[in-house]
Amino acid sequence: MKVTSAIRTEKLTKDYGSGRGLFDLDLEVAEGEVFGYLGPNGAGKSTTIRLLMGLIHPNRGAAEIFGLDCRRQAVEVKRQLGYVPGEHPDFGGLRGREVVAYLGAMGGGVDQAWVKTLCERLKLDLSQRFRDYSSGNKQKLLLVLAFLHKPPLLILDEPTSGLDPLNQQEFYTMVREARDQGTTVFLSSHILSEVEHVCDRVGIIRAGSLVRVASLAELHDIRLHRVEIEFAGELPLDRIRAAEGVSDVTVEDHSLRCIVRGSFAPLLAVLAGAQVVNLSSHEPTLEETFLEYYAAEPKEPVAC
Amino acid sequence: MLRYGLRLHRWGMLGFGLVAFLSTTAQGAAYLKLAGSTPAERALFVKTMTALALQLSYFLPLPRHLDSLAGYVLWRAWGTLPLVIVFWAIAAGSGAARGDEEKLLVESWLASRLSRARLVAWRFAAFGAAALVMAALAGGGTLVGAAGVETIPIERLAGQVLTLWLLTLACFGLVYLVSQFPGSKRGAQVLGTVLLLGLYLFQVAARTQPSLEDPAWISPFHWYDAGDVLAPGGTLNLTGIALGAVTLVASAVLACLAFERRDLRGPLFRLRARASRARQGGTSPLLGWPVARELYRQRWIVLAWAAGIAGMAFLMVGIAHGTVNALLALPGLRGFLGPTGTDPYRGYIALIWFGIAQALLAGFAVHVVAGWAGDDSQGVLSAELSRPRRRWAIVAERAISAVVAIVLLAILGSICTLIAAQQIGVTLDSAGVFRATAMLVPFALTFAAAGAMASSWWPRAAIGVLGLLVFASYMDSALGPVLGWPAWLVNLSVFLLYGSPLLTGIYWNGLWAMLAVVVVGFGAATLLMERRELSR
Repeated sequence: MKVTSAIRTEKLTKDYGSGRGLFDLDLEVAEGEVFGYLGPNGAGKSTTIRLLMGLIHPNRGAAEIFGLDCRRQAVEVKRQLGYVPGEHPDFGGLRGREVVAYLGAMGGGVDQAWVKTLCERLKLDLSQRFRDYSSGNKQKLLLVLAFLHKPPLLILDEPTSGLDPLNQQEFYTMVREARDQGTTVFLSSHILSEVEHVCDRVGIIRAGSLVRVASLAELHDIRLHRVEIEFAGELPLDRIRAAEGVSDVTVEDHSLRCIVRGSFAPLLAVLAGAQVVNLSSHEPTLEETFLEYYAAEPKEPVAC
Repeated sequence: MLRYGLRLHRWGMLGFGLVAFLSTTAQGAAYLKLAGSTPAERALFVKTMTALALQLSYFLPLPRHLDSLAGYVLWRAWGTLPLVIVFWAIAAGSGAARGDEEKLLVESWLASRLSRARLVAWRFAAFGAAALVMAALAGGGTLVGAAGVETIPIERLAGQVLTLWLLTLACFGLVYLVSQFPGSKRGAQVLGTVLLLGLYLFQVAARTQPSLEDPAWISPFHWYDAGDVLAPGGTLNLTGIALGAVTLVASAVLACLAFERRDLRGPLFRLRARASRARQGGTSPLLGWPVARELYRQRWIVLAWAAGIAGMAFLMVGIAHGTVNALLALPGLRGFLGPTGTDPYRGYIALIWFGIAQALLAGFAVHVVAGWAGDDSQGVLSAELSRPRRRWAIVAERAISAVVAIVLLAILGSICTLIAAQQIGVTLDSAGVFRATAMLVPFALTFAAAGAMASSWWPRAAIGVLGLLVFASYMDSALGPVLGWPAWLVNLSVFLLYGSPLLTGIYWNGLWAMLAVVVVGFGAATLLMERRELSR
């Protein structure tokens, strides 16, 4: 098999029963790209990551990182990646530098100069005991551990959780720099601004299934437009409702609001001849697109 | 909320309750076999046990009413429960006061409009309910053990249950109160341990030192000892009950005031912050090496156990003269010191000190396993496995670090034994001490291996399972022969597999059995670790 994918899954499934889990995940993340993995709570993001990390075992299917089987070649896989977990481990009374030393040694040693650079960028004091760190500082320590060995792949589960805006920006800069150096980044998040900042492509997972993979540009193209039209005279309401791509039509006095998906042409054809006083189109953010995606087919989120 | 509070204490309640139930049941069931049925047999039993008890005052209260089953159970079972309760009170009190803060539970409770005072009251009430279940189980075990032998009036039993319950709550309250001072759960555990063990040892000293009788009333263990309502002719110690209630209420009120005053996750009295020093270096190189890094992380635990083992070695050997003389004075107890012809001091050290060393090292093994289970539940194991580490290597590293720590502790204990023996003019053969020391290693590793298997399979239950195994193994060895259990069942006890290496050489069958358990246990742990899924 040609190794052009950093991450590749084939029918990857983890079934917890009662419809909970991850089902038939077919995913490919190319080397050098920053891939955003989006989904609501309980959709299966962390399950996917834990399967890639070999922390849990799939019921069927396969997952590979740089052509290495995530389960059978787990140790070799770990040499290729840096990881930020979704929950903080509890290192108790160990100081930050001690955590770096003992986990860093497991990965083949510690470049003290690089650690110092990372800590200065993230403003992290390694002399403090882990239990005395704030939530944000614990997260920074996990980021330091992930970037420690400059791995070719970063798997980051909610990486900016607890970080203040300045440190979030610094993190985004670090991710861009890593990408520029050829590092692949798999970033799981429910914060859409985070995805918009750094990702090349986005996968959306819902209830254990991958529902969409697209570039940010593609997602922008397919997203809906919120249109508001003000009429001087009678509203061609029935024809507007029947126009292709138009939905959620509401009327208030002489104003009409609707949602347009795809091309504007059908709506404009209907409006020809109508007395339109004002027309505005509001381009939604990725967040609205994302929420719309989940609102389109309401379903209970599946806890994974 | 009480139900939720009980849930927080459920494992302690069930575990210690089970220990209390089995202890009182077993001692009651063993009474007839030990004491005999005729008045003459009973009289001899009373005489010998009273003499022996004087030498065991560090462990048991002075006995009364040994001519009755109730009196014997009061002494032998209820009398040892305070030492068990110390461990529960330390764990529960420090956990309730500080552990829940570190888990951010207290923040969420206070955010839901629960006041600090109500929180304290709720925690006391919840533990009180759990302690009542434990005490009731001790009472139930007493009835079961006495069934068919002696009728124990319910009101006497209720009085004894009340006494134990108050002692448990008072100990919890004291630990909860002192836990307000330091800023961490670990600090709370240390302070709680120092306080409760200090009060316990004060009472131990007062048992044989009349001059300490009066000041000993500050110790809740003293007024617990003073009560004997369970035994025929005994009375409910109203002064002790009142003192217990006062201790409980005072500790709750003072703890509440302290909790109101301090910051969450902060000490009661915050020292002025010192100017920060540049601390860019100073990481121990041990953290970079397998096994060494495990030992480094456990260093304080190992040091604490080392201090305990050394102290106990000096104490137990130090009192050898008194105990040996007492046992030699009673023909029926001469056999405790080994086969005929054995040097009695050698027999004493083999039986008493190395018996205690076994218990201490088993306790250390449980503590180490608790650390492994904690690593799992706190996400540290996941963090290690996110590095290029093989799962079997984690089990291997744990096993080897356990071996190293146990060897160090065993050697330390034996060195202290030799020194203490020399100080009292007793000569021990080094080869025998070496054998006895060496056999402690597979003995303790047997429990560590069982714990490794349990923590690899079900980390949350590992400590409970292992603790039960240690307790069951001890009871099997102590009471199995007395109760006439089948030989194959008695021989299952790990304590018996140790044998008596100082007196009779290495018990090879026992050694091979222990080593087999170690190999199978760690092997199974490895397989389970390979297969299991990590929840964090």
